[in-house]
Amino acid sequence: MRFLTTIHKRGLSQIQLAALLMLPALIVIFLITFYPLAQTFLFSLEDYNAKFATARKFVGPANYIKLFLDPDFRAALRQTLFFTVVSVSAEFVLGLLVALVIHRTFPGRGLVRAAVLVPWAIPTVISARMWEWMYNDQFGVINDILVKLHLISAPVPWLGQPATAMWAVIVTDVWKTTPFMALLLLAGLQIIPEELYEAAKIDGAGTWQRFRRVTLPLLRPAILVALIFRTLDAFRVFDVVFVLTRGASGTRTLVVMNQEVFFSFLEFGYGSAISVLVFVFVALFSFLYMRGLGLRLETA
Amino acid sequence: MKKLMYLLLVATLLSGLVAIGTACGPTPTPGPTATPKVVEKIVVITPTPAPKRVTLIITGPSSGETGYKVLQKQLERFTKENPNIEVKIQEMPWSSTLQHDMFATWSAGQLPTPDILRLDIVWPAEFAAAGWVISLDDYIKKAGIDMKDFLEGPLSGCTYQGKVVCLPYFTDAGLLYYRKDLLEKHGFKPPETFADLKEQALAITKKEGIKNGFVWQGDAYEGGTCDLMEYLWGNGADVLDDKGNVVIDNPKAVEALSVMVDYIKSGVSPAGVTTYKEEDARNVFQRGDAVFMRNWPYAWAAMNAPDSPVKGKVGAKPMVHGPGQKSAATLGGWNLAVNKFSQNPDEAFKLVAFLTSAEIQKGTALGAGLSPTRKSLYKDADVLAANPFWKDFFDIMIGAKPRPVHPRYPEISSVLFTEAHKALTGEQDAATAIKNMAKKITDIVKK
Repeated sequence: MRFLTTIHKRGLSQIQLAALLMLPALIVIFLITFYPLAQTFLFSLEDYNAKFATARKFVGPANYIKLFLDPDFRAALRQTLFFTVVSVSAEFVLGLLVALVIHRTFPGRGLVRAAVLVPWAIPTVISARMWEWMYNDQFGVINDILVKLHLISAPVPWLGQPATAMWAVIVTDVWKTTPFMALLLLAGLQIIPEELYEAAKIDGAGTWQRFRRVTLPLLRPAILVALIFRTLDAFRVFDVVFVLTRGASGTRTLVVMNQEVFFSFLEFGYGSAISVLVFVFVALFSFLYMRGLGLRLETA
Repeated sequence: MKKLMYLLLVATLLSGLVAIGTACGPTPTPGPTATPKVVEKIVVITPTPAPKRVTLIITGPSSGETGYKVLQKQLERFTKENPNIEVKIQEMPWSSTLQHDMFATWSAGQLPTPDILRLDIVWPAEFAAAGWVISLDDYIKKAGIDMKDFLEGPLSGCTYQGKVVCLPYFTDAGLLYYRKDLLEKHGFKPPETFADLKEQALAITKKEGIKNGFVWQGDAYEGGTCDLMEYLWGNGADVLDDKGNVVIDNPKAVEALSVMVDYIKSGVSPAGVTTYKEEDARNVFQRGDAVFMRNWPYAWAAMNAPDSPVKGKVGAKPMVHGPGQKSAATLGGWNLAVNKFSQNPDEAFKLVAFLTSAEIQKGTALGAGLSPTRKSLYKDADVLAANPFWKDFFDIMIGAKPRPVHPRYPEISSVLFTEAHKALTGEQDAATAIKNMAKKITDIVKK
């Protein structure tokens, strides 16, 4: 304390003092986030395979040019965008429904709330493995039920054909992360004051109008946070795909591709270029969300 | 200000994403050590008064696998014979792809442990070219190891640019398993050609009401490459020639891949075979739901276990092949190499020599059912008593061929199984798949 008073006496302004106090935190943030980011960017400008480390050399933007000419990268980007848009939309709609239901008071609500969270609590690798078995063509429960109901005549290898594999992955992801979406939205619902609904009721607003005019606008900050979180996660999807298909049958997303380039091929330069592009895309998404939802950040 | 803080938070979260790229990169080491190109290791043996005490780490199976206990016992014996050397097992995941990626990350980071690396037969070229393992030639000469006793296939897989960089620990080769009882019942001889198998599979499944004719490894992973290679070789095609030229763009290769596609289209194999790995195929076959299966020798023991529904009903033979061609088996198996960055290479080699000796391999064969890499063991009475089928496997083991030998093998293999898988799932036809393979592999080899 004496230290602070002395430096205060020496004429440090409030702002300078604040900056000084924040410095340690900023250094940590710099070391764990900005340093790796910069390092990845520098790697991305090199022809650098960890197997042939001596042949490492600076190549400028060559990796990025190669990336845009690489049909595998374009396919991965397409598949990632498809996965992101479909899974996040489905999770949002379902998550909102779940949140609205468990926000209401009804007997056994605590139990239902806990039950809803179960899929989210299971580690992805385990739940994905479980779904993999459910999708199995020989002894999978999904085929068994559908065949018994005569909805399909023969078992379908859900994960083994391009027509269904991505959908199977999306279903697994939606099952797993809808609870997370619901949880974030539920938190948003709980801070909306009850009086607003009462007032709207008195003014003669129906259920839909109350939802449209009261719930949705006030839920916006929560929606924004939930969508940003989910979009970023979905765009970087790895674990669920890695377990279910390892990228086969048209499910190779950017990060699945990146993992292979990095850790199987040890192409650190090319892999870093993919990482940087994933970062750019993700930053772009966040920006568009903030713009698109017209949200003033102060209200968040 | 609040807005700024929020943006900063978002930016922080975002940049964390990119961190995966660098977090696992090689740690910059001081000094000129970042040039692991030379494969040789100069060994200066100075007369030491008393052996130093060292602890070695060897990668091995996970403690759940049968091989773990066998290895543990062998290591205890090793320590008894060499009281100054203690050995610890580092358990590894079952998937060979995962093991590869872990090894590669450690070696790129120049980690001194594990001292002994257990390498899949397709990695030695890559590890030697990268300078991650030492050449064993001098050690072998000094220890007087009889290299002629090793099977040629595994040994050639362990040799890179004329230097032996690992010793074969156990081996594997692709086999065709068939239901002896069903073939006999319907008056068939075990199939020789691709067409034989199709005919028999269709006839037997129809008459017996069995769900599947032929199950194999059609998933997009290393095993898919192994299966594909057997069709290519069995039809007179190949990926690389002896000089390393890309020779896959060839009608014979298209024909070979077309056979695999046709097996699925004509119902010989289930459509779901495009998701099968070894164990998926074995599960189906062992439940009695298939007539034929392509798999490795390990499956034999499980299928003849007391509780197996197909116990005693299974035969094994070399893979089917194209008309006028010979069968081919993909060579598998694991080998022991010494980590270039190990601080105790002499002791490490001692352990490698111990574990690959005929006597210890015999114990591994009897205890864990792993196929030995020493020719003499295929004539050993005890080994044959425990595994009578190995006498028949010997020819297959001898004839097994290595997958393309190249430092960039993981990339080549990824192209092979990815493009083949797209043909199997109907995304592209066989001719396009082979064209794409040729183009992409040419690019990789040129790098």
